[in-house]
Amino acid sequence: MTTIRRFCCNDLLRFAAVNLDHLTETFNMSFYMTYLARWPDYFHVAEGPGNRIMGYIMGKVEGQGESWHGHVTAVTVAPEYRRQQLAKKLMNLLEDISDNIDKAFFVDLFVRASNAPAIKMYEKLGYVIYRRVLRYYSGEEDGLDMRKALSRDVEKKSIIPLKRPVTPDELEYD
Amino acid sequence: MASKFGLAGGIPERKVRPIWDAIDSRQFKNALKHVSTLLAKHPNSPYALALKALVLERMGKPDEALSVALNAKELLYANDSLLMDDLTLSTLQIVFQRLDHLDLATGCYEHACSKFPSNLELMMGLFNCYVREYSFVKQQQTAIKMYKHYQQVGEEKERFLLWAVCSIQLQVLCGSGEDKLLFLAEGLLKKHVASHSLHEPEALMIYISILERQAKFGDALEILSGKLGSLLQIEVDKLRMQGRLLARAGDYTAAADIFHKILESCPDDWESFLHYLGCLLEDESIWCDETVNDPVHPPKFVNDQVSHLTDEQFDGQISIASACVQKLQADTINNLIRCPYLATIEIERRKHLRGKGNDDNLMDGVVQYFCRFGHLACFTSDVEMFVEVLTTDKKAELLEKLMKTRDSLSAPLTKTLGLSISFFKIKQLLLGDMSKSSASDLEVSCVQMFEMYCKNLPLSKDMDPQESMHGEELLSMICNILVQLFWRTQNVGYLVEAIMVLEFGLAIQRYVSQYKILLLHLYSHCGALSVAHEWYKSLEVKNILMESILHHILPQMLVSPLWTELNNLLKDYLKFMDDHFRESADLTFLAYRHRNYSKVIEFVQFKDRLQHSSQYLVARVETSILQLKQNADNIEEEEGVLQSLKCGIQFLELSKEVGSKSLTFNEDLQSRPWWTPTSEKNYLLGPFEGISYYPREILTKDRETSLKRVIEKKSLLPRMIYLSIQSASASIKEHVEVNGSVTPDIISELKLLLECYAQLLGFSLTEAIEVVMGFSNGERSCVVSDSNLIDWLNFTVFLNAWSLSSHELVQPDGNGCRPRIWNILDSMLEKYILEKVRFQEPQLCSPWSGMELLMQLVTEPLAWHGLVIQSCLRSCFPSGKKKKKSGLAYQSSMNLTKAITDSVVHLSHVLEDVLTWITEWNKRPEDEHLENILLLLRKDGHNDGPGEVFHILETFISSMNDAELGDRISQSLKSWSPADVFRKMMTGKLKVLTEFSAICESKLKLFNSMKQQIAQL
Repeated sequence: MTTIRRFCCNDLLRFAAVNLDHLTETFNMSFYMTYLARWPDYFHVAEGPGNRIMGYIMGKVEGQGESWHGHVTAVTVAPEYRRQQLAKKLMNLLEDISDNIDKAFFVDLFVRASNAPAIKMYEKLGYVIYRRVLRYYSGEEDGLDMRKALSRDVEKKSIIPLKRPVTPDELEYD
Repeated sequence: MASKFGLAGGIPERKVRPIWDAIDSRQFKNALKHVSTLLAKHPNSPYALALKALVLERMGKPDEALSVALNAKELLYANDSLLMDDLTLSTLQIVFQRLDHLDLATGCYEHACSKFPSNLELMMGLFNCYVREYSFVKQQQTAIKMYKHYQQVGEEKERFLLWAVCSIQLQVLCGSGEDKLLFLAEGLLKKHVASHSLHEPEALMIYISILERQAKFGDALEILSGKLGSLLQIEVDKLRMQGRLLARAGDYTAAADIFHKILESCPDDWESFLHYLGCLLEDESIWCDETVNDPVHPPKFVNDQVSHLTDEQFDGQISIASACVQKLQADTINNLIRCPYLATIEIERRKHLRGKGNDDNLMDGVVQYFCRFGHLACFTSDVEMFVEVLTTDKKAELLEKLMKTRDSLSAPLTKTLGLSISFFKIKQLLLGDMSKSSASDLEVSCVQMFEMYCKNLPLSKDMDPQESMHGEELLSMICNILVQLFWRTQNVGYLVEAIMVLEFGLAIQRYVSQYKILLLHLYSHCGALSVAHEWYKSLEVKNILMESILHHILPQMLVSPLWTELNNLLKDYLKFMDDHFRESADLTFLAYRHRNYSKVIEFVQFKDRLQHSSQYLVARVETSILQLKQNADNIEEEEGVLQSLKCGIQFLELSKEVGSKSLTFNEDLQSRPWWTPTSEKNYLLGPFEGISYYPREILTKDRETSLKRVIEKKSLLPRMIYLSIQSASASIKEHVEVNGSVTPDIISELKLLLECYAQLLGFSLTEAIEVVMGFSNGERSCVVSDSNLIDWLNFTVFLNAWSLSSHELVQPDGNGCRPRIWNILDSMLEKYILEKVRFQEPQLCSPWSGMELLMQLVTEPLAWHGLVIQSCLRSCFPSGKKKKKSGLAYQSSMNLTKAITDSVVHLSHVLEDVLTWITEWNKRPEDEHLENILLLLRKDGHNDGPGEVFHILETFISSMNDAELGDRISQSLKSWSPADVFRKMMTGKLKVLTEFSAICESKLKLFNSMKQQIAQL
């Protein structure tokens, strides 16, 4: 029971139930607002009956040439609305926009190497581990760069896994 | 910043690069060195000077930075031959902005644009300046100029037009512009579209919103269905827009068709279903705008509107809706789609509201929903709005049906657990306040739930420690019932038991925010505020969450002696808000640049919303009051604080204007426990009464009125304290210098503020004075209660200070020169402080509200009164040489000295008594405290009362099976003990008392030193 619509500033005052979850980061204002100001179609919220915020996804589109891609910055669902495949719905929406509107080659995301449940979920959604990023999280934990090819990448070149891990300063984008 | 290279003011890029590099890597000393070298060669280059100013500002030298920046500006203005490049200007702009002189930056750009009127880059810089200053009219004018200058057609030109259009819309929505300005915006767009069409989806959205705002729905629809409509690439967004416009235009049939279409492609879209149904029933209320519905707290359900349809029409439309829903159900074999099933219940609810309801159908709908989705955590919140329409009997019947259904369903273990949890939750909901259930029934429920929790723990044994566990909600529900039992029986054992259950849960899973919030309120209620604060900190509330979550802890902290922690909370929060206000305009400009025009409007409105935040205003006032409290024992330091507050003038202005401001409430009240639905309300402090805590709709308007009064009153304080100090010292000088004159301004201003203060208490000044005088016979006045006691005492303190130098009111009583009000004030302070001490049982878990009041008495009115006394005394000892006094003056000052002495002696005794009481408290051995708490939970053969759940908890821990629970859970339980929780509770409470004791000691020290001073006179 999900109305998915664009995220707006007022939602920042309504997402406490989602963000009090300890794995969900509450970023500073300029971070959220930069995403809203630049990629409003990549920032969506799911609302349930009684106008409750169920979860949201924020992302962006960037890159040059064949690296032009959608990126998932955060996807999160309130505890009350878990186990209903809401994250999948939100991810599919972002993939559709990257694929159909922005004609991107792939969608990628970063996940903590220790976050087994999340990695499993992304794999189910068709993402593969493209490369490992050493000490990506606060210089401590490794991150995994996971990717899913879109229709424009006919030969699925973008998701051929790299043989060696990279360091954060080798990353092309923030 | 490193991108700002170029040939600026004739300086080659390679010379400038090291400066920017040093700035970017925060090596400011190094940067300054480079700048000095540069300036040696180009002493009159505005760019070099601007760079120097920037470096100085970053080094924390704002005054020097400003003077250098002004120098650069002058050179820029003076020399016509100098190039006005954007690089110099934007560098200066950064400096001026950081120095809070936006006007100077704007001035530079205005000057540059007047010199080079066709330079587009400079004009964009100027537009940006106006965005920063929120000057919507000037933004519009500049954008129009750019639009006209820009000869090329296409997206660039369109951009400037939309900048102008947005600026117009902002004048109407956020400024004082009238609606008719929108017509102008519409005209601009129409003309542009005719010659150049539109290229951006956001431009179209703005166009539509301008038409919609003018109620030109038909025009908007025409544009949307025309060629321009194809700009909107997300089809469902376009359909939603169309549906809304059609409905607002009154074409409900067409609107319903559109929403039907949406439902076909998104059958789970609940909002679209509500719109669909609303259109079928021709209900226009769902389209009312944000002035009616607060977008941050939207209503939970569609209210009952009397539909103008005839019965026949109504039935017809309902059957259309039902048919649609049935088809949706048939089409969606995926059973995770909830909407079509909830829709059935909504249709029944609407029939009910129309007086055509059939309870059995509605109940069947809920039961079916339970069968399909009862195992989901959101089941109860999904259906809560529907069961509201049932009568109490019907609710009981529904419960019966649900129970039978639950018992008959067979499902895997986790699903069965989910169903049971939903059943318990809906039971709480259907039974409302639970006041109809007997205490023992409620206890049985708690026991069942707790056993269920324990029994199902093995389900979570292999889970990631960060994942939420199965059955987590059971413990919160148990806590809710135990607190209800406490309210009913006043047996604090239930509170302790509730705390224990939640602490137990957190020992197993340390991330459950719901437990932490409940705990922080329970600990606050018991007075263990430092523990409450620890749990708050563990929630890691930061950034925008502070605006919605801080209310859980802030009100308690404001009246506590935990000043350091309070100061940190306030400081972090204000920093976040002020940082946002500073950077918000830059982000708005980012939205302009990226052509996301709807976000431009949204950002400005959001900033306005935060600026009017009630919590923000409270925090600003309270930060100053906290500083005043902290420094009240030293009048010189206090005067320093007052000086920094512009002698209280700033807040006086706030007090005056707050009445006409509309405040916003951004708290997330959903997360509050049932017993305190807002921070102003705590049911546990009053007698037991039946309340229904589902669903909670808070009356924002009422809150706004009362909160405004609080802010008005509090923001008078700094000024009144300042004036009281002045008045007291003037009174002594008058005595000393016999013919000296008292500053009349102070007296009249203080009187004026006393009038305001009295008014906020609900009285005229004369009436309020009568109330105060009435205290002289020692009786309790009927107008004074715990909730306004501090205000009355503060009023009396200021009244006393005023009466010292005003001859309008009070004559000295027979007892020397001591004014009567002074006597009354001292005895009131004594009476109320000692009363609180006497009635405060030294119980570890007793409610704490009496203590809060005691602490306020000491840290507010007593502290302010102490300042008045300090001021009097200081004037008796003029600095420098003592003047030789005439006989009369000597006598007069001796009389006042006696008055001061009496007061100091009197209040010292009061403080000593408080300290003795605290020491007694502290002296009790820890074991005695622990024993007392444990006694509250021990059953020892009694069948009623708290302790049942605790008993099972203890048994569970002592007999747990490591293999079943898994290492992680059993290890964390092994290192946990109830005695540690008791100890934590006690230490937490003692910490608060220790802080309070330190405050009292400091005041006592002050009074003692005043005694010594008097002795020297």
